[in-house]
Amino acid sequence: MTTRRETLKTLSGALAALAAGPLATAPARAADRFTIIAHAVHKAAATTGPGGDVTAPWRAQNNTDIEWLTFGVEAVNERAFKEASLAEGNADLVFILDRYTGPQFAGLFEDLRTWQTKDAIPDFGEIPAGMVAAHSFGGKVTAIPFRHATHGLHYNTEYFAEKGVTGPPKTVTDAVALAEKLTYKRADGLQVYGLVMNFDDPATPIDWIRGFGGDFITSDYKVVVDSPASVRGVAMLCDLYKKGVLPKNSMNLKTEDVTTFMQQGRGAMTNNPFNRYINYNDPKASKFPGKIAVSALPLGVDGKPMPAKTSVWAMAIPVNAKNKQRSWSLVKLLSTRESAIAETLNGNGPVRPSAYEDARVKALIPYAAAEKEALASARLVVPGFANAAKSMDIFIEELGNAMLGNKEPAAAMAEVKKRVTPLLPT
Amino acid sequence: MTEAGRRRAGDRRAVRWFHYAMTGPALGLLLAFLVLPAVYVAWLSTTASTYGQPARFVGLDNYAHLAADPIFWRAFWNTFFVVNGIVYVELALGLGLAVLLTGPMPFKAAIVAVILDPSATTESSGIVMWRYMLEPDVGLVTQWMEHAGLPTLEWSTNPIATLLLASVIAVWHHLPFTFLILYSALTTVPQDVLEAAEIDGASRWQAFWRVTLRLIMPAILIAVLFRYIFAIRTFAEVWLLTEGGPARLSEVLAIYLYRETFKYHEFGMASATGFVMLAMSLVIALPYLKQMYREAARGP
Repeated sequence: MTTRRETLKTLSGALAALAAGPLATAPARAADRFTIIAHAVHKAAATTGPGGDVTAPWRAQNNTDIEWLTFGVEAVNERAFKEASLAEGNADLVFILDRYTGPQFAGLFEDLRTWQTKDAIPDFGEIPAGMVAAHSFGGKVTAIPFRHATHGLHYNTEYFAEKGVTGPPKTVTDAVALAEKLTYKRADGLQVYGLVMNFDDPATPIDWIRGFGGDFITSDYKVVVDSPASVRGVAMLCDLYKKGVLPKNSMNLKTEDVTTFMQQGRGAMTNNPFNRYINYNDPKASKFPGKIAVSALPLGVDGKPMPAKTSVWAMAIPVNAKNKQRSWSLVKLLSTRESAIAETLNGNGPVRPSAYEDARVKALIPYAAAEKEALASARLVVPGFANAAKSMDIFIEELGNAMLGNKEPAAAMAEVKKRVTPLLPT
Repeated sequence: MTEAGRRRAGDRRAVRWFHYAMTGPALGLLLAFLVLPAVYVAWLSTTASTYGQPARFVGLDNYAHLAADPIFWRAFWNTFFVVNGIVYVELALGLGLAVLLTGPMPFKAAIVAVILDPSATTESSGIVMWRYMLEPDVGLVTQWMEHAGLPTLEWSTNPIATLLLASVIAVWHHLPFTFLILYSALTTVPQDVLEAAEIDGASRWQAFWRVTLRLIMPAILIAVLFRYIFAIRTFAEVWLLTEGGPARLSEVLAIYLYRETFKYHEFGMASATGFVMLAMSLVIALPYLKQMYREAARGP
């Protein structure tokens, strides 16, 4: 039996078809294609998860399909620069990371201040000025922040319980002592390392160096890596390596390797972005689902919050993009407060602090409060400049020399200063 | 000039034009796809060039910078030792196996299939497999060695061990190439020549050294030359193991070039590095090419 609602629906459909006449039988116009160069996390944050597909209404409204070309971190930036430098590019929108960009690439992208003046992102001022500054060169805003990746301290609660530890370390010195305590062989023969870190760039070691009051390059482009505080931090890392608290192959570890270490229970603690919580606790891949907790990094030696490393991924429109108006409309959509909340629910690090106050975020993301706390004092790995990638490589090279015992920490860091200083902007 | 002489000269001119017409397309392709890009890279090596900025002529500054960079020299010597190790170990193994297999041997086809097997494996998969087998703590081979009380290969911390492992992987993967060339050359050595040597009183070693080896020398030269040229570009083995680490101590020239191109986006420096690699290939290849021409001129 047909209900009244169904009958009305059928009738209205028939009337609509009659009104459209011959057009109703014509094939629908093929959807346009919109190409985005991004990392897989950006695609996931924008389209997949409890927050839903943020891009869906935009795609429908513009009759456009989005083609997401996703690559690894380095390759995303490389591909973005390459596409943007062509006479005729295929990318409509690209995601770039603060430490891979620099003033030399500013000419490849639209100055988004112009677009913001023409068609403003609502409440743009909420996005922290520091994040916008990470993608601004010579007064030009080359990209709009989309995601931050801020470090927290992840720890295996089962191992903590085994060793009688009740909670995360309170200070950096507590963390070092705890890492030593948590380096042991389990009953099943598995070697547990107290601390695991990736050394493919300075992002993870810099947290500990800053915890000791040191730094690498300050925001006003001064190399301070040879300061006594920095050298103390480096010496601490060397000591942990010598004692076997850090795995033997630490200098060879990348982000994915650290994830495997944590999932397999080979690492007791790591400082990595908060949202790795999802990977470390993934029941399909982890031997410890639900047992890897995350907190803000411990306090530094000065008793203040240890400045966690943060990175800012941002959306840029290549100057050779075919339809910049359309590109901007998507940037605008992805940057609204409601979108930021949905993206946070999908696992993004929100660039709008108000997203942390949303009830849905609080309910679904267990680390929301800790991440917000960490973000307040977070710093970029290095400020953006033309030779940032080379400078970071030099730092990692000399840190490796110190850890291997080829050089004393002070000598290695003095060498970093000597080699990096000529590369800084004058 | 006589009528006959004029006709012969005309024929020669016609033949020459015919040759040019026939070889022209191939030469055109070489020009378009090899010479012109090489000229472009040569020009690029004299510029400071990156994305989004016009190339700026800097003369030989990039080469001077390379010459003054200790990391470049380390990469150069690492490449030199790795390449020579790979090529000669492969040659020795390939020749040894080829000689063994040209004699009577059971399950010959199966053994040849096993030797050829690595070449059917995707390079990156093969390298990752080796890496996981020798991973510190958890690698299968590492665990066996630890159980047997043997020292483990510290390839993640010791650059010499890294380069040694990279060389072993390269030999494993490319041995089939050398083996196939030498094996097929050995199967074409005429038996009557070897029998004549035997009748003349040559021992088996003398027959091999003085007859077989001489006859397959062109094949050996080709195998060595090709492997040198490919081995100079060794990249994946080291990159997938350590990316040239720790502390860039196991870096080879191809990784140095990769960093300049894809990490630092300094295309002038990258092109200069590429040209140094090309020069290195030429210097190595020249004596072999000369020898090959000599062999060819001497005839069979």
